[in-house]
Amino acid sequence: MNCDLCKSEMYAWRYDNDVASFQPLFDHLDQCPECARLFGELTASDGRVETTFQSFPESPFLENRIIAGLAHQRAQAAAHRSARKWWVLLPVLACLLIVLFLAVEPWWQQERLNQQVAILLRTPPALQIVATDRRELLNWSASFVAGASTLPPELDRVQFRGAARLRFADHPAVFLKMKNEGRASLVVVDTPLTKDKGFHKIEENSGSASLWSDGKRSYLLLFNGNAQEMRAYMQKMGISA
Amino acid sequence: MQISDQTFDEWVRQYHRLLFGIAYWWTGSRADAEELTQEAFYQAYRSRSSLRDVATAKSWLVGILRNCYGQMNRKGHVRAEVPLDELTVEYEGPDPLAADILALHCALGRLDERHRLPLVLFYFQDLSYREISLALDLPLGTVMSRLSRAKCLLHDSLKLPDRAIGTAKVEGK
Repeated sequence: MNCDLCKSEMYAWRYDNDVASFQPLFDHLDQCPECARLFGELTASDGRVETTFQSFPESPFLENRIIAGLAHQRAQAAAHRSARKWWVLLPVLACLLIVLFLAVEPWWQQERLNQQVAILLRTPPALQIVATDRRELLNWSASFVAGASTLPPELDRVQFRGAARLRFADHPAVFLKMKNEGRASLVVVDTPLTKDKGFHKIEENSGSASLWSDGKRSYLLLFNGNAQEMRAYMQKMGISA
Repeated sequence: MQISDQTFDEWVRQYHRLLFGIAYWWTGSRADAEELTQEAFYQAYRSRSSLRDVATAKSWLVGILRNCYGQMNRKGHVRAEVPLDELTVEYEGPDPLAADILALHCALGRLDERHRLPLVLFYFQDLSYREISLALDLPLGTVMSRLSRAKCLLHDSLKLPDRAIGTAKVEGK
């Protein structure tokens, strides 16, 4: 090894290096006093430089500043996460609203029906046609309510004395006033308002009502009396499912 | 890799002085070093999932500090030649170390970045060649050759400490 190469190796050497790989350097240092002197100076200077590097100013508040900055970042991230969570929940909330609407909708429809029944019981519409001829009244009704100008057999014994056209539950309907019982009237609605054909009792303060359907039309018996009186009237007239 | 906030805070306590020291010798300014250290920890926190092995956390943090330093330079920041005001206030006195510190600042100021960065890691933190190579994202051989050259330049520069300090003081006045 010559002196130039030796000098180069001196700068590459480090105390934690593999000593064996630097053996040629140490062999040369043993033989060359000039290089050995230079290596000694270099080693001493290295130590001094290392010591000098350890002297740098303190920054006493730096740690707290960093920790505070990180806390701020975390708070911001948490706020973003929270906002994102709400966006994710939005479809779930929408589904819940739809389910709620589907569950509430029948009840709401029933309430609406009850309200209209109560209005009809309190203030029945003025008769637009006055006649005791059942066929004439039903023909007149058929022009407004679709279907044949007949009534189901359970209403065969009922007689009427007048009729009026109206809309019930947003559907065309005909109001028929009973002849022999002033407290009773019948509303024929152009749509089935109940899924089954059974009778549904509706009780209101101003009277009672019974609703049934034949699959095409709905029939609403209105009675200005209590439920017992209405039932007695229905039995008398043979109105039963 | 999932790193808890608690672990990261522990790293801040453990390594903030190390990163500040490295940044200080790289930039030559306490204010820049503080800014750089903070930014490095914030960036490290944001990208903590990229750390694959907690055992290499120190090198990883130094690597991020190196990136932040690069970003700082790209934004047009120039290393102060020798921050004399800062130095003379802090180190002036009978302590012979003060002269060495000033001389070291002058010498580092004369080195270009590719020599200064590994040199600081080598002397200041006593990082192994492998750790330096990891932190600076350089091949091991490149680190060794740059360090060898940097040490040579540094020692040459430090041979004339009095002249260097004298020049710096005159410039500062």
